[in-house]
Amino acid sequence: MTLQEQIRSNRIRSGMLVLTFGLVFVAIGAAVQALYGGYALIIIAGIAFVYALYSWFANGRMIASWTGAREVTKEEYPELVRAVENASIAAGLEQTPQVRVVDDPCPNAFAAGGSPKTAYVAATTGLLAMMKKRELEAVIAHEIGHVRNRDVRLMSLAAVLVGVVALVADLALRFAFFGGGRRRDGGNPILMIVGLVMLIAAPIAAFGIQMSLSRRREYLADESSAEITGDPEGLAMALWKLKQDTTELRHANRATAHLYIETPLNNARGMRAAMSGLFDTHPSLDARIESLEKMGGFRLAALDGEQPQLA
Amino acid sequence: MIAVYIIAGALVLIAIWAVLIFNHLVRLGNEAKRGWSNIDVQLKRRTDLIPNLVEAVKGYAAHERQLFEEVTAARTAMQQASGPAQAGEANKQASAAIGRLFAVAEAYPQLRASENFQKLQDELTDTEDKIAAARRYYNQTVYQYNTRIQSLPDLIVAKLGGFHEREFFELESPAEGQLPNVDFSGDPASQ
Repeated sequence: MTLQEQIRSNRIRSGMLVLTFGLVFVAIGAAVQALYGGYALIIIAGIAFVYALYSWFANGRMIASWTGAREVTKEEYPELVRAVENASIAAGLEQTPQVRVVDDPCPNAFAAGGSPKTAYVAATTGLLAMMKKRELEAVIAHEIGHVRNRDVRLMSLAAVLVGVVALVADLALRFAFFGGGRRRDGGNPILMIVGLVMLIAAPIAAFGIQMSLSRRREYLADESSAEITGDPEGLAMALWKLKQDTTELRHANRATAHLYIETPLNNARGMRAAMSGLFDTHPSLDARIESLEKMGGFRLAALDGEQPQLA
Repeated sequence: MIAVYIIAGALVLIAIWAVLIFNHLVRLGNEAKRGWSNIDVQLKRRTDLIPNLVEAVKGYAAHERQLFEEVTAARTAMQQASGPAQAGEANKQASAAIGRLFAVAEAYPQLRASENFQKLQDELTDTEDKIAAARRYYNQTVYQYNTRIQSLPDLIVAKLGGFHEREFFELESPAEGQLPNVDFSGDPASQ
């Protein structure tokens, strides 16, 4: 497949995703109507239609508010903005995407939005603190690779359409069962039931995301990064650093997990960790480093004096 | 009669095919043009910054007259360069001269500490990074474009359509313009 074919395939998959989402809700509506009568089909299908339409245009903004990514200026984060500018130039994008920052000590980055004109690249403050210039450029180039390959619209749509179920499940679980430790005799029974239903639905939704987005996309973006910066070693070092890190992303949830350069769920414990293991959105960092080593013809462990170091 | 239809049909197919190739070459050519304009913008920004840098250093090291002349000459060469190959040569000269200017500045702590100088240094580093980024994209597109118009069957359309080879910008090795082998069809390491 060439880049053009990849772009076309992403566009078709985006359309299929929206269509499937619509059909699923029409089916749910029909089922509810058959059981209870009334206008359930029209109401449920209508809500789904409006939500899908809104998602198509506003997925970037929705994800920004879920993840806490705020727009920043060049004056605030000159190095980050420059890394985005340079990667965009080297990737041949007509326009530099918007730059956003998430205030979070956990190092991670993602891209979201629609076409290259409306997409944005977001990095956490933890990433900026951890990475040297060369490594930051490589990580940003991975995200710009997603933008250039037109992955972002599909990935963002998957997050807001399929992932909304996972998001609601995360919230319901947190409020219904764990409620921040303030549990008073049993909690709300309706929320409990919603939580249980979502508990079953969430892995299925995660599976849906997995089905529409293969892990190959991550390898591909890694390769794009190497092509954009001409520096596969830089990305391998950055991934190595991400592997050492054990901090947890505060806004991590299953809906947006596949957007990030590294899965934000690894450090979650208990039920969530056990389930996300079954439905990994990312290949292991070791496998990705190995693939970069093969491509660049180097060994990360054998780079003289250039060993990545944690500050 | 059938033979006439067959020939006419074949001609139509050939015409369609030629138009497709023509459009593809136009698109590649436009991408190369856009790539070049990215480089050009940064080269202009660089020529604009050079006089400020010379002024800043002059205040401390007025005796380095020969070096200042060298830098100014390199700047003039950048402005007068026509075409990517010449611009590349001029830019290399300018890079070397600017490098020496910064080396001189090392001896003057006060100069290095000045906000103006630091800002200039920062801006010049940024232009250099951006030129490098734009160069990678430009040389890759030129490589693709040149390869296509040099080889059959595109060669015929290119000759008839008046497509010409484009110059590389600061090509360091013949392999530089080539893309690394990015395979979009599947990765043995995946899954």
